[in-house]
Amino acid sequence: MTTVRTFACLTVFLLAGCSADAAPGPVEQIIVREPGAAPVATAATAVAADGGSASALLAEGKAAFANCAACHTIEKGATNGAGPNLFGIVGKAAGAVTGFAYSDALKASGIIWTATNLDSYLADPAAKIPGTTMVAGAIAEPAKREAVITYLESATAN
Amino acid sequence: MSKNNTATDKPGKTGKWTRRAFIGAGVVAGSALVVGVAVRQGNPIDRLSPLLAKGENERLLNAWVKVDADNIVTAVIPHVEMGQGVYTALAQMLADEMDADWNKVRILEAPADMQYVSDSIARDFLAPDLDVPAIFEPTVTGGILELAQAMGLQFTGGSYSVRATGQRAMRTAGAAAREMLVAAAASEWQVPAGEITTANSMILHAGSGKSEPFSKFALAAAEQSLPAKPTLKSPENYTIMGQPKARHDIPAKVDGSAVFGIDAQVPGMKYAAVRAAPVVGATIESMDASAAKTMPGVLQILNMGDFVAVVADGYWQAQQALNSIDAKYSKSEGDSLDQDALFARYATHLDEAGDDGGDMETETGDVAKGFASAAIKVEAEYKVPFLAHATMEPMNCTAWVRDGKCDVWSGHQAPVNARQAAADAAGLPFEDVTYHNAYLGGGFGRRSESDNITMATRIAKATGYPVKMIWSREEDTAQDHYRPSATSRFRGGLDKDGKAVSWDNIHTHLFDPKDAPTVPYYNIASHKIRKVDVPTQLRFGPWRSVDHSQHGFFIESFVDEMADAAGKDGYTFRRELLAGSPRHLKVLDTAAKMSGWGSALPEKHGRGIAFVPSFGSIVAQVAEVDMSGAKPKVKKVYVAADPGFVINPDGFTAQMESAIAYGLTAALYGEITLKDGKVQQSNFHDYPMLRINEMPEVEVALINGDHKHLGGGGEPGLPPIAPAVTNAIFAATGKRIRELPLSKHSFA
Ligand code: HEC
Repeated sequence: MTTVRTFACLTVFLLAGCSADAAPGPVEQIIVREPGAAPVATAATAVAADGGSASALLAEGKAAFANCAACHTIEKGATNGAGPNLFGIVGKAAGAVTGFAYSDALKASGIIWTATNLDSYLADPAAKIPGTTMVAGAIAEPAKREAVITYLESATAN
Repeated sequence: MSKNNTATDKPGKTGKWTRRAFIGAGVVAGSALVVGVAVRQGNPIDRLSPLLAKGENERLLNAWVKVDADNIVTAVIPHVEMGQGVYTALAQMLADEMDADWNKVRILEAPADMQYVSDSIARDFLAPDLDVPAIFEPTVTGGILELAQAMGLQFTGGSYSVRATGQRAMRTAGAAAREMLVAAAASEWQVPAGEITTANSMILHAGSGKSEPFSKFALAAAEQSLPAKPTLKSPENYTIMGQPKARHDIPAKVDGSAVFGIDAQVPGMKYAAVRAAPVVGATIESMDASAAKTMPGVLQILNMGDFVAVVADGYWQAQQALNSIDAKYSKSEGDSLDQDALFARYATHLDEAGDDGGDMETETGDVAKGFASAAIKVEAEYKVPFLAHATMEPMNCTAWVRDGKCDVWSGHQAPVNARQAAADAAGLPFEDVTYHNAYLGGGFGRRSESDNITMATRIAKATGYPVKMIWSREEDTAQDHYRPSATSRFRGGLDKDGKAVSWDNIHTHLFDPKDAPTVPYYNIASHKIRKVDVPTQLRFGPWRSVDHSQHGFFIESFVDEMADAAGKDGYTFRRELLAGSPRHLKVLDTAAKMSGWGSALPEKHGRGIAFVPSFGSIVAQVAEVDMSGAKPKVKKVYVAADPGFVINPDGFTAQMESAIAYGLTAALYGEITLKDGKVQQSNFHDYPMLRINEMPEVEVALINGDHKHLGGGGEPGLPPIAPAVTNAIFAATGKRIRELPLSKHSFA
């Protein structure tokens, strides 16, 4: 089904502390369909079944992942960015994504990415693996790390 | 040394920092210390703090350099990489002053934050003669910095990076960091600072045999007071500047791992294709999307007023659906505009101005008298067309507006402007927008505009989910911010010895830099330069070398015509005009000598010379052209360039070569034309690029003429190429080219 929204005026003034010439919204918006369930969204539904707080945590983690997304993709098979693709990272050995040029330090670390290891790495990458080339993205707040790790856990095949 | 942390052998690892991550690294990873120009409590430039640190957490200001526990020195670069090699050159400047080990230098692009506005750029605009390191002069800089913030300048363009940011900020920051490290070591070792030396990221004291890495003193160094005016090296002590260090960005570009704006990946992202009203100022009156609605993958169809967008699961689906949409556009003032009418309009305005009208730009001596007394008079009119930028990476932007926040991904020459544009479009405060910059697949000025950022943000705001908007090549060609077309008229007078005595120029349009039409380096007793403003509705934007791209052709063509009228060759005539300017002469002479000026050439071959100082650098080119075929074949270009001091000879040479490729493309083919207000070109078949078999061999000689005043590298190689080629065509055929591109002319 298609929804059509027609907007009364061309210029929609937005008042939220921005300049007066905020760009106009659509004159006509035809919504053919909402985006299909993305792999991430499917995982989210699955987790939601265990209870509300888990899904809230997941949502928080997904939002926090915006800090990682500048360098990492998470969808299955997506290309590596400045950092390796993180699909299925939880439980995987460090340095295992093919085609990514890891630092020698990370490759030699022998770490398995358990939630605990991820937690300490994300708290301070260079302290966990001296010489790692992940130079940004550390998360200071433990709760936020937990959320991101929950989100990472959701991004697997099963 | 562990191999994994070097700048050179770690392809694709240029970090991208959000401001949060940046501050986080300083706080969380306690081992990492930002030294150099961090403004914090108690240091001498604390007065700057209130101006800059508006939020309570903003204690890291203008942090250009960081030393971490592994003795890695990180240079934070407040400019964007668009193929010009800026990461490498600026890091070289910092590392050299700091005595850092080049193999342990890492590079980070500064986040899109006001902290990294190019105050040095603003300074050059406002106080070009001030010879103080920008960031250490609170009184001078404070005001300028505020202005720079207002202007949103974290800008890469105007060939400014090395000569302004590098010279004023990176070098000073490196020297300051070094002095602070030395001071910290001196106090711990209880030896005079003057006995301490530094090299390769190590601090040494010969007397006691002590030596420690920088990192040992990073913490203590940060507590030292900031040197008010750190001592910069003189050229004989440079160890990294002036060296052809390998380009930091190249390995990742070769192996394909480099991330450009168009590569942004956001979970749940969809794709948008867009089509704007073809005439500037027109709006979409109605659209028939009946076919598009049924097409595969289509999610939304949007009439945004000034453009139509289709959002779909994939880019191809979005573009196909967009192609099926029939839109009706409103009338616009620009509807009637076409090519010939436009140049006729220029002519009318110039006619009206006559010999004395128009806005005077510069006037020296008495032109009327000079002209009246001239033994020989020369007059000529030249025209150049609109040009598109045709960046290899088409315009694009990915945006996500949700929950009062906005994230935007693109490659932009002014990330702070991009962030502001997204904030405006999303209707959110600047603070709630995170801008993620990536490599630019060509900038040339096109990516200093934010229209793509605004459009993508508006689409994403309407959909609520992340959307990657990509322009088709057709859209890119038809909706550019064009290099303006222009007409320029000259009158010149020569005395009986063939010496230039008067120069009168009037031209349409002036944008930037203001000195582009002027010729202060040519010793001509009287000259006046005027302009007339002629309105057109087309969007203008800076294009590599900006107004020098037009005026370089105008001026150097006319100088050649005067030379011819004087019965002299172009080189000799220019030598006379440059008498008394040894630095200029040296550049001209070098190019002429390299080219074997005056020696015999095969039949139907010609040599042409052109000389254009721009953006602080002096460049002369000699082109050798073969006119035996149906169209000109530029065989070889000899370049002599003096940018003051060449920081990276390899990078600078590459800039000269690429400016020739870009400028020759325009000279041979570049032309955007209008019919009924619409751009008639659409893709590479009607807006061709130089092919590899058309690229001349280029030989570059670099001259270090004044290490205190650096010139730019990105643009100065461009202006001389068109006139060098057309002057060579004249030498070979006697045919004077007064209008570009060359494809308009027949040489059969
Ligand atoms: C500035 C870019 C950047 C950001 C931001 C970033 N990372 Fe990384 N990340 C990297 C790089 C580069 C590596 C590879 C490190 C190495 O080889 O030493 C990496 C490695 C990793 C690894 C190890 C992967 C493997 O295959 O062994 C994990 C897990 C990781 N990052 C998670 C995250 C998370 C979660 C975030 C956000 C909270 C994040 N990163 C933010 C660049 C980044």
